[in-house]
Amino acid sequence: MIKIQGLTFTYKDGARPALAGLELDIRDGEFVGIIGSCGAGKSTLTYALNGVVPHHYTGDMYGSVTVEGLDTVESSPEEISRYVGSVFQDVDGQMVSAVVEDEVLFGMENFGVPRSEIESRLEQALAEAGISELRHRATSTLSGGQKQKVAIAAIIALRPKIIVLDEPTGELDPRSSRRVFDTLRELNENHGITIVVVEQKIMLLCEYVKRLLLMDGGRVVLDGAVGDVLRQTEVFETAGVNIPRVATLARELTKLGYYSGATPTGLAQAETMMREVLGNG
Amino acid sequence: MADSLLKLDGVSFAYRGGDALQDISFEIQTGEFVALLGENGAGKSTLARICNGLLKPTGGVVTVGGKDTRRVKTSEIARDVGFLFQNPDRMLCQNTVRGELMFGLEFSSVPPEQHAARCDEMLSVFSLDGERDPFGMSRSERQQVALASVLARRPKLLILDEPTTGLDYRECMTIMDIVSRQNAEGAALLMITHDMEIVADFARRVLVLSRGKLIGDGDMRGVMRDRALLSSASLLPAQIPDLAMRLGGAFGEAFTITDMVKTVATLKEEVRV
Amino acid sequence: MTGLLDYVQGESFLHRLNPLTKLVLSFALCAAVFITDSHLIIIGILAAVLAFSAAAGTVSRSLRILSSLGKLSILLFIVQILFVRDGKVLLHLPFGLVITDSGVLFSLLFVLRFMTATLPLALMLAVTRISDLANVLVKSLHMPYSYAFALTTAIRFIPLFAEEMSGIMETQTARGVEFDTKNFFKKVRLLLPLCVPLLISSVRKTEGGAISAELRGFNLRKRNCGFREYPLRVADVLAVLFGVAVILTVSVF
Repeated sequence: MIKIQGLTFTYKDGARPALAGLELDIRDGEFVGIIGSCGAGKSTLTYALNGVVPHHYTGDMYGSVTVEGLDTVESSPEEISRYVGSVFQDVDGQMVSAVVEDEVLFGMENFGVPRSEIESRLEQALAEAGISELRHRATSTLSGGQKQKVAIAAIIALRPKIIVLDEPTGELDPRSSRRVFDTLRELNENHGITIVVVEQKIMLLCEYVKRLLLMDGGRVVLDGAVGDVLRQTEVFETAGVNIPRVATLARELTKLGYYSGATPTGLAQAETMMREVLGNG
Repeated sequence: MADSLLKLDGVSFAYRGGDALQDISFEIQTGEFVALLGENGAGKSTLARICNGLLKPTGGVVTVGGKDTRRVKTSEIARDVGFLFQNPDRMLCQNTVRGELMFGLEFSSVPPEQHAARCDEMLSVFSLDGERDPFGMSRSERQQVALASVLARRPKLLILDEPTTGLDYRECMTIMDIVSRQNAEGAALLMITHDMEIVADFARRVLVLSRGKLIGDGDMRGVMRDRALLSSASLLPAQIPDLAMRLGGAFGEAFTITDMVKTVATLKEEVRV
Repeated sequence: MTGLLDYVQGESFLHRLNPLTKLVLSFALCAAVFITDSHLIIIGILAAVLAFSAAAGTVSRSLRILSSLGKLSILLFIVQILFVRDGKVLLHLPFGLVITDSGVLFSLLFVLRFMTATLPLALMLAVTRISDLANVLVKSLHMPYSYAFALTTAIRFIPLFAEEMSGIMETQTARGVEFDTKNFFKKVRLLLPLCVPLLISSVRKTEGGAISAELRGFNLRKRNCGFREYPLRVADVLAVLFGVAVILTVSVF
């Protein structure tokens, strides 16, 4: 459970608020995608969820953020991170170890996971991230996609209820990006972990997430099921974010009166839409 | 016949500093807009670095404007070839935007008396404030400063290594608009990208690299419709061409949203008649 | 990029030794090189270290290190040999410089020491994961964890920085900066501004690492948090005895 009420945050040296009166509720087991232009406040929102704001990056904060019943201002980042795991865009910067196994051990050791559980959790985390065979590899020899999965495995091992990811596929090619999202979907569907992911790649996001948030000017301006949100094309335009081409196509067809159904979020749905359009004729 | 702007003839590369390349031949002429596609590790970055002399081929010949890259200094080739890397932070090293542009111009073939004018021109093209410190700018602004610095030097060939990674849509379009304008003015473009939508919107020719080999070289629309070719480089067609191919029939040739809508309208019209 | 100081994965007996043993042994060999005055003993130690590297499967790397040290050694040898003036003169050079027999012997000893003393430490790094070393320092020698973490981070960042620096040089070369200029002052003037991008990327990386470590409970860590155990086995005792024996031998001769 995440509950954010009237959150306004200005970084210590910031000229204007990075978040401005943000309201957000996320229930257990949701798979939420966040999109928005640079400077819309996406990263700051992820920092607010894992306690980096206001503990690591300080500034003026108003409103409240509650994660699993913890008030993030009163709790330390360590307490919060027992529930919230975080993965970042910089695949090298977020590593702390030279070997995959150690990277996954790091958090478990710190949080004092009982010795008897460590080995099984380690194996399980690697398996869930799909990188069991990389266990003994040096992190410096991995590809970007593999490194990102190591970062995810290191988080899964801590058994968080929520995983927050800030542009996890920023440096990856399309296939590696999809594999990372496959892993996220798996964690969400089979393990009930709540996933909150910030991403620039709108088409990828629309294909995987169930709920999409559009941010602009430090606020959530659109929030809902992917198809519903994609209908609001003017809001996307104002926010400087593109929508998948198939959604644009749906809008054009709707405008001309050829189509009135749900907005497709991916190719398969777009195909269905086209058949419907032609069949109606 | 005049020399090609860039010519690779049977180029191979094998060295532990980069991915291997095997027997690659192609030419790029003035005014072309070429996208270079391929999976991670296919050798795209190595190939790009071969084209501006940062890496020298271990077999075959690379010529830029007729000059063999193994015979002339990289800094000399750099006068004709601009290279925008993914990470602008590796380029920016001066404390004002103007200083950055002037630093780049120092090593260009632009005559010194034109430097200030060229610098002003770029500042206005990008709407940048010359006195700002790039250090305090956003990632996208820094990418723009880096691009401005490359373009100020009037490259004949511009190589872009994933220029839009990490940028949002609007920023991405700003960069693409500027490079397209340069292209229209005659600069040839070789752009590495993973974004098939950008390829569909801007490129006219596509090179497909897979495991160090050039497996495709042709007209953009042709390559975009070659699902098997793209798939062997871990790629998928852009959404609209993909949808058009899935639908087939009257949609076979559709490539843009406008094409799709027109085709729908025509089909509907036929039914009505 | 594989650096010359990275860990090399393996299952050799050296890999399996307790990290502490490896630390002690490599320092013992190093010390022996400085205690002895015998060229032969140093060559013997060099051969032994090379044999160890062969056993650990890292001999090619040891030879690479030797060859790169070799280039520097030639320079050191020449400088050294001209400094020593006592002993029997073998050769008169212009400017009143001479080469003497003790000069040759001393310079030879000097470069042999230089090359041989480096290898055991390099070998230790090749067969020991830095994290194991850090864990053992924390657990057995009670080093504060934050120091150990700083140590491992520093070593892990060396290749990252080297990569970043070569990336920066590459980027600058691609914009026409002439690093290949013969003018030394011009070269320095061109290189100095590059510290800025290097510094920025370093700060970003360490900042990211700090946040990521903090969010994974870095501040909660206690001395006994380490999961891995590092028991002392018979092989460890033998290896330490071997180190002691080497030290004793060189002290006697």
